[in-house]
Amino acid sequence: MRATSGEPATATVNVRPTRPRLGWFGPAVTAGLVAFTVVTIWDWNYGTGFSIREIFSVIGQKNPVIEAIGETDFGQLVSPRSRKKFVETLRLAVLGTVSGSAVALPLALISTRIGAPNRAARIAARTISNVVRALPDIVWAMLFVAAVGSGALPGLLALFLFTIAVVTKLTADTLDGIDTGPVEAAKASGARHAQMLRAAQVPQILPAYASYVLYAFELNLRSSAVLGIVGAGGIGERLENFRQFQQWDRLWAIVVMFIVVVFVVDRLSTLLRRKLG
Amino acid sequence: MTTTTRAWPRRERQSWTWIACVVVVALACWSVLGLDARWGRLPSAPADLYTVGRLMVTNLTWNDLETCVEAMWDSIAIAWVGTLVAAVVAVPLAFVAAENLVPRWLAFGIRQILNVLRAIPEIILVMAFIPIFGLTPTAGILAIGIGSIGTLAKLCAESIEGVDAGPIEAADATGATRVQRLRWAVIPQSMPEIASFVLYRFEINIRVSTILGAVGAGGIGQVVDDALTTAVPRDWGLAGLALIIVVLATVVVDFISGAVRRRILAGPTGVTRVIDEPAIVAELMT
Repeated sequence: MRATSGEPATATVNVRPTRPRLGWFGPAVTAGLVAFTVVTIWDWNYGTGFSIREIFSVIGQKNPVIEAIGETDFGQLVSPRSRKKFVETLRLAVLGTVSGSAVALPLALISTRIGAPNRAARIAARTISNVVRALPDIVWAMLFVAAVGSGALPGLLALFLFTIAVVTKLTADTLDGIDTGPVEAAKASGARHAQMLRAAQVPQILPAYASYVLYAFELNLRSSAVLGIVGAGGIGERLENFRQFQQWDRLWAIVVMFIVVVFVVDRLSTLLRRKLG
Repeated sequence: MTTTTRAWPRRERQSWTWIACVVVVALACWSVLGLDARWGRLPSAPADLYTVGRLMVTNLTWNDLETCVEAMWDSIAIAWVGTLVAAVVAVPLAFVAAENLVPRWLAFGIRQILNVLRAIPEIILVMAFIPIFGLTPTAGILAIGIGSIGTLAKLCAESIEGVDAGPIEAADATGATRVQRLRWAVIPQSMPEIASFVLYRFEINIRVSTILGAVGAGGIGQVVDDALTTAVPRDWGLAGLALIIVVLATVVVDFISGAVRRRILAGPTGVTRVIDEPAIVAELMT
């Protein structure tokens, strides 16, 4: 058939793509993950004994925590103590984000190759960011509580430190990928190092940096609600109280309020981020 | 009248920037003035933190190594099973939340549910789950699972929305059914990215599961919390050892998981270096 169609011979090659060969990687990783899953789910000394049947049987039973959802005590939202602690949570999140982000921008600039000709400064900045991020912010809060005593200060310090690390990392990664044209142009026009940063690097990353600051604020808002559990200020203290005294109706009120606030902040910051980028 | 061309571009109007700055400064002032932080302790804070670090290092003993490693393993197991629970729910949900596969109103509705789920911190979930499930790993697993569904499903849906429409049209042109179109046109394109999101979320969830111990959910966080807040006097050496184990374990897991993720994204012949997109990393963390 093809011979009579008069097409050139090259058109007769098989046009269907060949199926990619199954290498060693896929099967190896799959086997590893399956083994890991079996070990961790299995009900033995090194597993979690997770079973969906158990979950459904427990949920089917009467339970004071679940029943309390129906009788959530919204009066709690206007109680002066809860309100004060809620405002403290917001203040912690704002301050931690603003102070941490302010330090993070210069730190990000010196942790990239074009930003910092000084190799030692670059490595130091990266190392600080990596080490701080290796521990969760709540662990930092525990350490600061142990160091300076309980209250809002250790919470603020933990958020401050963690924000620096996260925003530095994200901004530095963005800086690594920017257009080097303006940098060269600035150098060619005889700009000093600081002028080059100001004219060629900062304007390119500012929108991304601003959006990371918004992300950091969301992260900090979530963390600042639980800082109080380890004694580092904010609404978490009240949550921990209600939990200890099993006042679930009050706990749910705070949780609902908190979810509403985070939801609103999340929507607002998504909107702002769209405007930025 | 000839229009003269300006030699330099007109400066963009920056009123928005100024408004943003004023708002941020106002918020910061409101926070500083109202925060009862007993600021007097601030100047000595770095020295105090150094003292804590020194106490942890000087009192370090290796007697509790086994306890710590086992507790860390528990945390990792809780994080992994929790991530799996999240993935099992989130990946199918993502297909119903993708605007190119379902009607817009449905995608929008599901996105809003996901946004609400994203708003709940895992620690609060575990506080509610412990009285229900007792001090079992199940409480932690469910907290991490439910806490990760929102973010995972949202990112996966965005990845599905980003697939090339060509294969979908091709599948439609051959008369493929809805399921066949998913199987042959959508899933092959989006699966690498979805798999890498799940792995990345696992890396984040290890950090989450290490702190769940602060409310008594077991794992390495419980060891740190017991050593620093419950024990009298504080067991600095144990806390130090536990923190060293946490750092080592997270670094090792990040390394392995990161290598697998990059290989998945780059493919068998991939020569391009895959860099973690900062915006996606940030999205995954929240």
